[in-house]
Amino acid sequence: MRQTCIFSGSSHPALVEAICGRLGQKMSNVTLGNFSNGETRVEIQTSVRDQDVFIVQSGSGQINDNIMELLIMIQACKGGSAKSITAVMPYFPYSRQSKKKTHRGAITARMLANLMYVAGVNHLITIDLHASQMQGFFKCPVDNLVAEPLLSKWLRMNIPDWQDAVAVSKNPGGTKRVTSMADALNISFGIVTTDRRRTNGMLSMQGSAIFESMGTDGTNDRAALEGDAEEAEARIISNAGFREHNFAQQQRQQHAPRTNGEMEGLHHRPSSRHRAVTSGLSPTVRTRLNTLNGNGESPASPSPLSRSTRPESVGTEGSISEDVARLGLLRTQTAPGIEQPPHDYDGYEEAEGEDDGDDRARDVITGRLIHGHIVEDDFPSPSLSVRSGSIQGGIEQRESRSSEDEPLPDPMMQSFMSTTSSRMQAPQHGLGGTGDATASDEEEEEALKDPYIESTVTLVGNVKDRPVLIVDDIIDKPGSWIAAAETVVKRGGATKVYCMATHGLFGGNSLQELDMCEEIEAIVVTDAFPIPEEKRRQTKKLIVLDVSGLLAEAIRRNHHGESISQLYQHFD
Amino acid sequence: MATNSIKLLTGNSHGQLAKLVSDRLGIELAKVMVLQYSNNESSISIGESVRDEDVFIIQSTEPGNINDHIMELLILINACRTASARRITAVLPNFPYARQDKKDKSRAPITAKLMANMLQTAGCNHVITMDLHASQIQGFFNVPVDNLYAEPSTLRWIRENLKVKDCVIVSPDAGGAKRATSIADGLDLNFALIHKERARPNEVSRMVLVGDVRGKIAIIVDDMADTCGTLVKAAEVVMEHGASECIAIVTHGILSGNACEKLNGSQLKKLVVTNTVPHEEKKKLCDRIETIDISPTLAEACRRTHNGESVSFLFKHAPLD
Repeated sequence: MRQTCIFSGSSHPALVEAICGRLGQKMSNVTLGNFSNGETRVEIQTSVRDQDVFIVQSGSGQINDNIMELLIMIQACKGGSAKSITAVMPYFPYSRQSKKKTHRGAITARMLANLMYVAGVNHLITIDLHASQMQGFFKCPVDNLVAEPLLSKWLRMNIPDWQDAVAVSKNPGGTKRVTSMADALNISFGIVTTDRRRTNGMLSMQGSAIFESMGTDGTNDRAALEGDAEEAEARIISNAGFREHNFAQQQRQQHAPRTNGEMEGLHHRPSSRHRAVTSGLSPTVRTRLNTLNGNGESPASPSPLSRSTRPESVGTEGSISEDVARLGLLRTQTAPGIEQPPHDYDGYEEAEGEDDGDDRARDVITGRLIHGHIVEDDFPSPSLSVRSGSIQGGIEQRESRSSEDEPLPDPMMQSFMSTTSSRMQAPQHGLGGTGDATASDEEEEEALKDPYIESTVTLVGNVKDRPVLIVDDIIDKPGSWIAAAETVVKRGGATKVYCMATHGLFGGNSLQELDMCEEIEAIVVTDAFPIPEEKRRQTKKLIVLDVSGLLAEAIRRNHHGESISQLYQHFD
Repeated sequence: MATNSIKLLTGNSHGQLAKLVSDRLGIELAKVMVLQYSNNESSISIGESVRDEDVFIIQSTEPGNINDHIMELLILINACRTASARRITAVLPNFPYARQDKKDKSRAPITAKLMANMLQTAGCNHVITMDLHASQIQGFFNVPVDNLYAEPSTLRWIRENLKVKDCVIVSPDAGGAKRATSIADGLDLNFALIHKERARPNEVSRMVLVGDVRGKIAIIVDDMADTCGTLVKAAEVVMEHGASECIAIVTHGILSGNACEKLNGSQLKKLVVTNTVPHEEKKKLCDRIETIDISPTLAEACRRTHNGESVSFLFKHAPLD
C-alpha cells in the first residue's frame, strides 16, 4: 500500500509481523526503549509526512507502559505531520472499567479514549470491545471488529458434532454474545448464572430457629443422601426436551436465581419421600452419578453425628416442599419482577411428583458453588457448619469467622444499597444481559475464591450429552470458567466443554488452572492479546487462532476507503 | 452539610512524602485503594466522599514504574472528577517526562505536552509541581500551574550545613546557569560554569570549566540527578581545578541505573537531594546521599491554594519546620 506506515508497539510484534506479511509491506522503523529513569522513549525513524499511519499496540503484562508508548507514538506521528493516525488495538486496555462500579469509581476506559484523542488519534480499530457501548466514548470513528466468525470457523472445522453443541454463557451479561454465536451457527444456547450469596447474609433473612434445626439435619444426613439429588435430577432432565430459546426463557433466567435465594435455606433439608421416589433407580445409574459428585467432600466419610438425628427429620410435615427446593427444580410461572413467596412451591410440588409434562421447569438446574467448585446439595454451607458444630475436614478453619464478625448490611438497608452498589447485589435487568455487559467479573472471581461465600449456580438450557461451548470475550481469571464447566458437566451432563474467548489474558497461573480442570476439553482464544511462548507451553489444551488476517484486511480496507462490513460476516 | 474542605489523596508512588504533607497540614490522607488487575491494569477505589471537596492528589514517580504511576494518577483524577469533586489539584513534585519538552529531532514526540494534555483530559483543574526542567512546560497547560522552587530550602540547607564564605556555586551545564546564579546571588557568592558537549542523552563528553574554584568548596547545583554521569564528571573537573571539596545539590534525585555505584566511586563528597522522588532504598546503597525535606513547601502551597492565598511568598521563602 502506498502512503502508509505501519508501526508496531512493543506489546505484540509477532502480530504486527503477521499483519505486515499479509499486506506485503515492511514494518516501518521505530526505536522504542526507555530512558534510564524509566521514561518511555520513542523515535520514529522514517518520515511520516502526509502518510496514513497505523500504530498497532495490544496489551501485555506491562499494560501501562504499552499505553504510554502508544500515546507517545501517536503524539510523535502527529508532530511529524502524518495525514491520519489510526490506532490498531486488538485488545483495548481498561475496557473492563467502562462504567462506575463502585462509589467514586473511575471510568478509565472513557478516560483512555479521551487521552488517545488528545494525543491525536484519528481512527481506532479494535476487536471485541468488552462493551460495544464504549464506541461512544470516542470522538473519532471506531471499528469494533468481531472475532466470532473466526471462532465459529474453528468450531465447524474441528468439532465433528458441532451441530449438537450448546453455546453457554457463563454469566447473564455475556448472553448477547452467546446468542449471537448460537444464532450464527444455528445451535442451541444456555446460560449459567451464579447467584452470589454470603452465607451470613442468610441468617438475617431466615428465622434463626428454623435455621438451627436445618443446620443439624442438613449436615447430618449428607452421608445417607449423597447422590440422591443428582439421581432425581438426571432422571427428570433426561426426559426433558430442549426448547428453542425465547423471550420467556430469558425472563426465567433472570428470575430463577432470585427465587433460589429465597429457598436456599431449605436446600439442606433431607426428606424420606425423596428417597422413596428415587430408590427405584438402577444401581449403575447411582454409581455413575456418585462419581460425578462434587470434589468438595468424600461421600464415604459420614459424620458420627449424622445417623442419630436422621430419623427425626423423616416424614415431617413440610418436607415435601423442601424436596423441590433441594432438587433445585424451580418453576417460575409469574412474570419477572414479581417475587414468588416460597409457599407457592408447596402447591406446585404435589403436581411435580406425577406430572412430568411441564417441561419449563426442567430447563433450569441449580447447583451449589463453594470456593469456586460445585459441591453436593447437602454439602454443609460454611456457616451451617459453624452453627451445627460438626467438624468436617477443611471446614474447621472457617469456624474462626463467626457470623457476628462480619459487618452485615442491615436487612432494612438492602434495597437501598442495591441501587448504588453492585457489590451488595447485582442489578437485575428486565432482559437477559444486554444491560450489564461489564458485569463485575473481578468481584465474581473474588466471591468464587472466598470460602465463606456460597453461591448458587443455575444452569438454564439442556446440555445433556452434548458438547458445550462456553463463550465470552475475555478469559482472565479461571474461577468462573471452571465453575461453569463443572456445572454443565456435573449438573447438566454435558460431554465436553470448550472455552472460547477473543482475548486470552490469562492472569496469574490461570492457564494452568484451566489446564488442570478435567471438564475442559480445549481453550480457544485468538492472538489479539499476546500469549507468551512459555505460557503456551504450559498447556496442551490451548488453541490460539490468528487474527492478523482480520486486522490486515481492516487496515487495507480503511486505507482504500472500502467498506469493512463484510468483516462482520461469517465465512466458510 | 459538607463544607468545601481539603482532601489529600495519594497513589502508590511516594507514601512517605504524602504522609509528611498530610501531617504538616494536620489532616488525614483520604482512604484510597489502588489495586492492579491480574493483567496489571490499575484499579482505584476512593473510600470516602469527595463531593464538592477541594481535592489534592500527590503523586511522585520513581524509576521503574513511571507509567504505572502516571496511569494511577490519571485514574485517581478521573475518579474524583466523576465523583463530583469541586476542584482537583495534581501535586507532582517531579513532573514526569519533563525532559521531552521540545522537538529536538525530526519526529521526536513532545511528551511533556502530552502529559499536560492527559492531565487536563483526566479532569485536573490545577497543577502544583516543583523545579520544572523547563518553565515553558507551564505554557503547555490551559490550567494554572504553580511551579514551586526548592531553592529557598536549598539555601537554608547551605547556610545551616556549610561555611558559606568558603563556597562557590557551580553550574554543570549552560542551561543551569540561571539556577546557579540565582543561588549564588542569594548567598552572595561567586559562581562557575562547566560547559559540556553532550553527544547523546545520559552520556557526557568533554567538559570545560569557566570561573575560579581554587581552594573553595564547590557546590554543583542542578535540577535533577539521573544517572549522575554529569555530576560525577563535573566533580572531577572542579577537583582538577583545585577545589578543596565538592558537593552537589539537586532537586530531583532520580538516581536511576547504577547511579549509586557511580557516586560511591566519585569525587563528590555529598549529594544532597530533596525528597520529591522516593530514594530511601538508594540511601542504603550510598551513604553520601543527604535529604532536604521539601514537604513543608508542598503543604504550604496546598494550604495557600485551598485558602486562596498568594503562593508567590514560597518562591523566595521556605516555611519553617
